[in-house]
Amino acid sequence: MFDFNPFSMLFGFLILLGVIPNLFYMAGYLNHIERKFHFLLHYFTFIISMFGVVLSNNILVFLFFWELMSLSSWQLILTEPTPKNLKAARFYFFMTHFGFVFILFFFLLVSPDNLTMSFDYLKLNIQNFKYPTLLFLLMSLGFLSKAGAVPLHVWLPYAHPAAPSPVSALMSGVMLKVAIFAFLKFLFMFNYWPIEWGIIILIIGALSALIGVLYALSEHDIKALLANHSVENIGIILIGIGVGMIFNTLNLPIISAFAFIAAIYHTFNHMSFKSLLFMSAGSVLYETHTKNIEKYGGLIKNMPITAFSFLIAAISISALPPTNGFLSEWMIFQSMLSSGGINNIALKLAFPFSIFALALTGGLAIACFVKAFGISFLGLHRSENAKHAKEVNTLMQIGQILMAVVIISLMLFVPFIIKFINLSTPILNIYDKIFPNIWIMKSVNGNGGSISPLILVIALIVVTSVIYFIYKSLNIKERVYHTWACGYEVGATNQYSATGFAGPIRKFFTWLYRPKEHKITETLSGHKTKFSYSFYEVHVKPLFEESLYSGTVKLANIISYYVYKISHFEKTKYVALIFNLIILVLFSYRVFYHEISWGNIVLEITIIAIFTKILLLGDKK
Amino acid sequence: MIINYFLTIIFIALISPFLTGLIKSIKMYLLFKKPLSPFQPYIDIAKLFKKEVIYSKETSIISRISPFLVISPLVIVLFLLPPIYSKSFYVSFMDAFTITGLMSLSTFFLMLLGLDSASSFGGIGSSREAFISALVEPAMVLTIFAISLMAGNISISKAAVSLSTHFPVIYSASFILAAISFFILLIAENGRIPVDNPETHLELTMVHEAMVLDVSGANLALIELASSLKFAIFATLFATLFLPFGENLCWCLAFIVFIIKLLFICLAVALVELNTAKLRLFKVPNLLAVSFVFGFLSLTTYYILGA
Repeated sequence: MFDFNPFSMLFGFLILLGVIPNLFYMAGYLNHIERKFHFLLHYFTFIISMFGVVLSNNILVFLFFWELMSLSSWQLILTEPTPKNLKAARFYFFMTHFGFVFILFFFLLVSPDNLTMSFDYLKLNIQNFKYPTLLFLLMSLGFLSKAGAVPLHVWLPYAHPAAPSPVSALMSGVMLKVAIFAFLKFLFMFNYWPIEWGIIILIIGALSALIGVLYALSEHDIKALLANHSVENIGIILIGIGVGMIFNTLNLPIISAFAFIAAIYHTFNHMSFKSLLFMSAGSVLYETHTKNIEKYGGLIKNMPITAFSFLIAAISISALPPTNGFLSEWMIFQSMLSSGGINNIALKLAFPFSIFALALTGGLAIACFVKAFGISFLGLHRSENAKHAKEVNTLMQIGQILMAVVIISLMLFVPFIIKFINLSTPILNIYDKIFPNIWIMKSVNGNGGSISPLILVIALIVVTSVIYFIYKSLNIKERVYHTWACGYEVGATNQYSATGFAGPIRKFFTWLYRPKEHKITETLSGHKTKFSYSFYEVHVKPLFEESLYSGTVKLANIISYYVYKISHFEKTKYVALIFNLIILVLFSYRVFYHEISWGNIVLEITIIAIFTKILLLGDKK
Repeated sequence: MIINYFLTIIFIALISPFLTGLIKSIKMYLLFKKPLSPFQPYIDIAKLFKKEVIYSKETSIISRISPFLVISPLVIVLFLLPPIYSKSFYVSFMDAFTITGLMSLSTFFLMLLGLDSASSFGGIGSSREAFISALVEPAMVLTIFAISLMAGNISISKAAVSLSTHFPVIYSASFILAAISFFILLIAENGRIPVDNPETHLELTMVHEAMVLDVSGANLALIELASSLKFAIFATLFATLFLPFGENLCWCLAFIVFIIKLLFICLAVALVELNTAKLRLFKVPNLLAVSFVFGFLSLTTYYILGA
């Protein structure tokens, strides 16, 4: 039933790292929740089910825990059943089962007779299956819809904000990683990956990264912002996996292993900083009772520990050195730079595009987290709630501090983490090539990229403190006065807002966002430029949701309208229907025997059209 | 030689305010104004260090720690720069991504500083800086990628050394394209005229100045030092990577050649500033797109034509 192989243990460790700080945080958060029993029951079921998925060695057990994971998280979203949450939960329920169907298909195809088959036999079945691409597509649809890759990511910005904060930290930080685990686990069961698979994953990854960060930028709901960042980071992980698959196909196992390590290391990093971000956002939410970052402001003065844990995570997720986020993104960049050795010119040219996508993602992520941190924690309080916020209780603080410790240790103990990842993943052992000694981290490509995380950390600390002591020795006088701002009045309302901050970027990407602007002004007695009240708001509805999902709904509506019409008409119209069908059958019969002439086709199409129009559809009223 | 290494670092750190002052005086001279001494920035910074620091009561601890965190990553970058004299010691184990990353770290804290004072000017500056630097990043990475492929090494110091010893003449076409791309980035990242006007305090034009509007005294001196350091870093990178000659001469000659290269870059920047008008903020992406396209063209020529 269960198998404690190294790869499962690796992800079991990841879950453990994510869950332990979360337990402290949850204990602190608990008195904020009304239905405590309901919450606790599903919370622990959720954690156990994730361990179950990771450790299971049997199709039935795997599916059971997978479904349990979906259902318990679904119930957790419903902890506070407001109408908005109900809608989010329904959407999540639908999306997660949409994925589940594909996973089920996948298993039914590879194990036709025996659902209690262990994964060792399943591996043989997968390798002997005649249409591996079909399996791969089913698997990708199933697991990546859970992981939140484009275009199946739309449920994340709804489901994550609706859940209580410890749960969103778990869902975004850990559950998405379980999906990545499942994807990798079954991916490694194939004995051969055609190059197209790698390219598909690379494209999905690049798209997810860009789309995730772009929609995060336009978001004002702090938890939805973080959820969109999960889409981005899953994209970065998938870029790593895709690069690894491509290089593996091209028979470059060392670079391939490097890319896979990078992807899994980023998985760990994303778990750490995203959990911390959700926890800090949850603490802010707990104190201010709003998710809108336009209503925060100045929280660093009331909630220093929350603010600093958010800052650490923000620096890390923006991939700024010397943090762990930077290190994993550096590894992914390095693995893409190895494309110099490829012979295929189309692939060679494709890599710079994905490098471009990843670099743009990094730049936009910095902008986004300056916005998230700057608007929520700096400046003046933008609302009464923010003014009266206090630091959260000790248990929640402990949870945040523990998670910050996880982030910092993922940064400081890189060599050990990489070694651990490398040894427990079924790839080539290249640890000695990456870390000849623990001070220098080398890239495996021929270009000789290298970085030294520890020296960088030490250098930053030393240089900053040297400058600080020189500064202190100058004995500079200090004075506290109010903000100058060119003599203009400084107040809570005329600070820069989050909408304004993202303004230039939103304007540049208007073709993607297509924002809906609401502008209300009350002018003073006929003056065009003087007004007593003004309100401006921008809403961005994701394009994918607009086109792909709403489009599908519209199409289904149109089809069902005609089906409805056909099923409720007078008896005479059945005759027309049968007549049309007969003509169609005859027509296809003659097509089959090549006994057709153009005259016949035109004549019959005209007749079908006339009968369809007059008899079947009738006059439109 | 390790002495050369430290001398270079101290030299670049010391010369950096001179470079910005020099650009200003060249511009004034060409505009038929009475030119300022190029050493004026030193006087300004010294004066700022003597003044008292005013923290506004709206700010938080971020305002107190940011100036240090703005300057310290750039000081570290100084230690990672390519050598200006090929026999001198250099740090070989840090690559270009680290350098761009450290500069982004500095910008990150500068943007937070802008938002901390609760003034709308600071917000404007931060927002624009975020916009520009987000678009600079991909072009920067592509250019670095291109140059590292040509030099055969991604470590920036090693790339510079190998370019100066064996210049890949066959790749000169893609080399020039990358150089143009990098020059645009130099202008954009340092807030020179087509992108940002460093001399005005007008709301419409400013990016960098808006962010530091409420920083005073020694803190402002640190920020100003940081921005001139950033220019010096970019100028050094341009001088060592894209004008890779004269580095294997003898010690003092290499030094003089390097100074001449820096002066040449200052002159070029001053001429660009004189001959162009400040772009509207939403035209800046077009300029950066040019840079990106050149970076990409450089890669394409390298891959396809091998030229």
